[in-house]
Amino acid sequence: MFKLVNGPQTLGNGPGFWMSFLVVLAIAIGYPFFADSYDVGNFAYFLIWVFMAMGLCLMWGYGGMLTFGQTLFFGISGYGYGVLAINFEGGTMTLAALVLALALAALAALILGYFMIWGGVGGVFFGIVTLSATLVLAFFLGQTAGPEWTIGEARLNGFNGMKGMEPLNIPWFDDEQLYFEGTALYFLVIALIVVVYLALRMLVNSRFGNVIVAVREDPQRAELLGYDVRKYQLATFVIGSTLAGLSGALYTSWGQFIQPASIGLPAAAMPIVWVAFSGRGDLTATLVGSFLILYAFQTITVHSQQAALILMGAMLLATVMLAPQGFVIGFARLVGRLFGSMTGSAKDK
Amino acid sequence: MNLRRKLLALAGVFAASTVVGGTALAADPLKIGLLEDISGDLALLGKPKLNGSQLAVEEINKAGGIMGRKIELIHLDPQGDNARYQEFARRLLNKDKVDVLIGGITSASREAVRPIVNRTKTPYFYTNQYEGGVCDASMVSIGAVPEQQFSTMIPYMVETFGKKVYVIAADYNFGQISAEWNRKIVKDLGGTVVGEEFIPLGVSQFAQTIQNIQKAKPDWILTINVGAAQDSFFEQAAAAKLNLPMGSSIKVMLGFEHKRFAPPALNKMHAVANWFEEIDTPEANDFKKRWRAKFPNETYINDMGYNAYTAIYMYKTMVEQAKSTKLENLRKVIAAGKACIDAPEGKICVDPKSQHTSHRMRLISVDEKHNVKVLKDYGVIQPYWLGEIGCDLTKKNDKKQYTPTDLPKKG
Amino acid sequence: MTIVEIFSVLYQFADVFAFLILSAAGLAIVFGMMGVINMAHGEFIMCGAYVTVALVHGGMPLPIAQLLGAVTAGIVGVIVEVLVVRRFYKRPLDSLLATWGLSLIVTQGMLILVGSSVRGIGTPPGSFMVGEYTFSVYRLILFAGAVGALALIYFVFMRTRFGTLARATMQNANMAQALGVRVGRVYALSFGLGAGLAGLCGALYAPTMTLIPTMGSTFIVESFVTVVVGGANVLLGTAPAGILLAAIRTTLNAWQGQIIGQIGMLVAVIIIIRLLPEGLSGFLTRRQR
Repeated sequence: MFKLVNGPQTLGNGPGFWMSFLVVLAIAIGYPFFADSYDVGNFAYFLIWVFMAMGLCLMWGYGGMLTFGQTLFFGISGYGYGVLAINFEGGTMTLAALVLALALAALAALILGYFMIWGGVGGVFFGIVTLSATLVLAFFLGQTAGPEWTIGEARLNGFNGMKGMEPLNIPWFDDEQLYFEGTALYFLVIALIVVVYLALRMLVNSRFGNVIVAVREDPQRAELLGYDVRKYQLATFVIGSTLAGLSGALYTSWGQFIQPASIGLPAAAMPIVWVAFSGRGDLTATLVGSFLILYAFQTITVHSQQAALILMGAMLLATVMLAPQGFVIGFARLVGRLFGSMTGSAKDK
Repeated sequence: MNLRRKLLALAGVFAASTVVGGTALAADPLKIGLLEDISGDLALLGKPKLNGSQLAVEEINKAGGIMGRKIELIHLDPQGDNARYQEFARRLLNKDKVDVLIGGITSASREAVRPIVNRTKTPYFYTNQYEGGVCDASMVSIGAVPEQQFSTMIPYMVETFGKKVYVIAADYNFGQISAEWNRKIVKDLGGTVVGEEFIPLGVSQFAQTIQNIQKAKPDWILTINVGAAQDSFFEQAAAAKLNLPMGSSIKVMLGFEHKRFAPPALNKMHAVANWFEEIDTPEANDFKKRWRAKFPNETYINDMGYNAYTAIYMYKTMVEQAKSTKLENLRKVIAAGKACIDAPEGKICVDPKSQHTSHRMRLISVDEKHNVKVLKDYGVIQPYWLGEIGCDLTKKNDKKQYTPTDLPKKG
Repeated sequence: MTIVEIFSVLYQFADVFAFLILSAAGLAIVFGMMGVINMAHGEFIMCGAYVTVALVHGGMPLPIAQLLGAVTAGIVGVIVEVLVVRRFYKRPLDSLLATWGLSLIVTQGMLILVGSSVRGIGTPPGSFMVGEYTFSVYRLILFAGAVGALALIYFVFMRTRFGTLARATMQNANMAQALGVRVGRVYALSFGLGAGLAGLCGALYAPTMTLIPTMGSTFIVESFVTVVVGGANVLLGTAPAGILLAAIRTTLNAWQGQIIGQIGMLVAVIIIIRLLPEGLSGFLTRRQR
């Protein structure tokens, strides 16, 4: 099974690639020991969003389904974690809150996905239906400010956002709880990213992955070859959306806050921007590119004040004009051309 | 002999170094972290806030700073994104290690920032008028709150125009809580709320609303619609010749609609605030002169910009009284009732129980040419509501936001 | 229902219909016909509005200013098409990123250049009474503008030579080019027409709205939703989509208020697309067979 980590659907399969991967991982693990605690927490924060990007890469890049719904599931899991964490009164039960929040997102994705896919909704219509669903949730939650909008002990609090949930914490030594904040959160997120990344690589290089790519290229042909296209699309949609839910629950735990503005526009367009920028065709590209664009945008905003949005827009425009496959893939190709065989059996997309 | 000389020399070096080190410490700047939106939808409101802060810092630094230390203003633009508010609050608090955090426009941005501030020992100044109710020891609220704005404006409107009011409110916390306040006060005055409409943020078309108002036949309208899109109501109502008196706790003072919309859209608008640029007193005029000397192209010195300016002076007074920048010492100054300044509006103080600010409230009206007249001066009004319902920050830190229907639990 | 009530219902419907159609008209051409996901659609609306307002402040009469506002947006559209959009016809999803970047640059650029808001121009006076209600005449002009936009699209694309060439190019660019059609010019002019219609929307709504650089975002959701519900055939689908969605929104607004109107319309969009996965025009053309 682990052999599937390499395969035709992912860039970077040779020993050179995996050596660099291990080097980067080692640096990442060692980072907190020589960096400022603020920077460690900041990097953890960026990595929280990467799950949502990888989920979209799976659905859009590999499955051909452009969905505006990532922030919908981000919100469902985020609010789910908040409501459950508050009602379970924190402590180790926050872990249960996290798992249940993910299950909630998966269930919602199953229902919405079934509704759309079995109804034959595809292409741009898929995007509009997911966008509409996302906006419905955002508007609905935005007006839940009244005291009647309470689930158990948790008050939804409308546009001002829900607060009061504990961050993820587990029992630790000396009768203390380990709160996943700062460096602890950083290590947790690194671990989760590695697991999710490798698991997704295995998924897309497996038979399942080959089928969804075939469906993306030509759904009719896949169907004629005997595959139930709908089941594969639904599975892809559920997996990709649940990853968005993981981002949502972790974000809520990180900031102890979740609000409807994280769900509606323009937040709903952001994952698409990150993945399109990075190169939606490949998981590694999305992982690296999303982190880079989040870091770049924040740095530009800190240092350029009013010109920030202009620089960001220019960055996106330039990428699309100069590197149509995505910034990371374009860069990787450039490097590949300069240094020969570092990227192993990379396939043209 | 030699040893004594050496010891004396050493003592001399020590003394010299403490003098040098001492002045170096005194020259250590005091860092103020500022989070204001100067891009995106809220730039209209955020830019005057940045200007006000910069003016205050410049004036204070020219006069020698705070306790001999110059102020370093570190501003970050969250672009109207509450996730950025969280990121940048963490950055200012943990990386830049600011002595005080100031900023935030919407209540949502304030609520996003509070959990982060609460994990540190840094004070946070929220400088906007808002729906009230935050009982949090880390926070000082500089803006006006409903008991100061509604308890003055609504009785005036009912006495002057009539007992039937129609409410147009933005459909989120601020609008809904303000509507709650209105219902309570109108009922106590024997009036009726003949209609209430909650408009989602971003909606800009009001034909149905205008028709509903005409059907309900109110004596006046309470306009607590928020945001550029919802402001389109005034133009559309004027075009439909609705022509009713209007009252608001947010119009004119924040978004200077009377300067942005062509007359007579804001005709018959009444508002109560602690600051309008049209206030005509020697202190106010002097302040306006200094502002326009630094920012000659400012369209309007709004309430938010004014509050941003006075917040820094309030902080200066608190630090000088406490002789320290530590939150616990600043809170002692507040508890002693000594956190007071002579602001351009009049003398204002921070209330010990709620850490909100008293204000000199004035009522204005707008005519059909969009001239603004100050009609009434209510004097200084305390932010009494939080203390009344049981918030007492001198005794305990609730860290919560209360509303008229979400009060502290007794016992 | 009395005459007054019937009239007021029709008036409200016409008002919502106008908003949907005027928002969607330009996007219908750019997205519906050309397949370009134009995230900068709101900025063409803003362009039309700002140019109109600037001209009126300079002394020009409103109708001429509005016409020039629309034309300016159209010219800007042609420039944008030639410089940026042209590269994306084979990869429409990338047009999303390019136009999103453009949108950021333009809105922030306008903020820096012109300031966070522009002084408005009043709505042209003129009101009439029906029963106990007063209505603004200008809202009827908006409705006329919407109908005019639909008529313009129909006329240009069905009754002119350019229209025929444009439809041929959208269907099969290579074939059209082989037959001697100047494909580049067709694309530029079509995109320009779409941008001009967006500018017209901004120009018409400018007297009634707040003028800030991000004002285009008020129109975006309605415009995309209307175009997609209309389906692939823009000429056949946009008008019925506008009628259907306006009817739903008007009814819900009147019955339960604006929040239900907004949420309800979006829920209706979901249901409509589920029932008619090719949009209204797909449904209507199928029935014709």
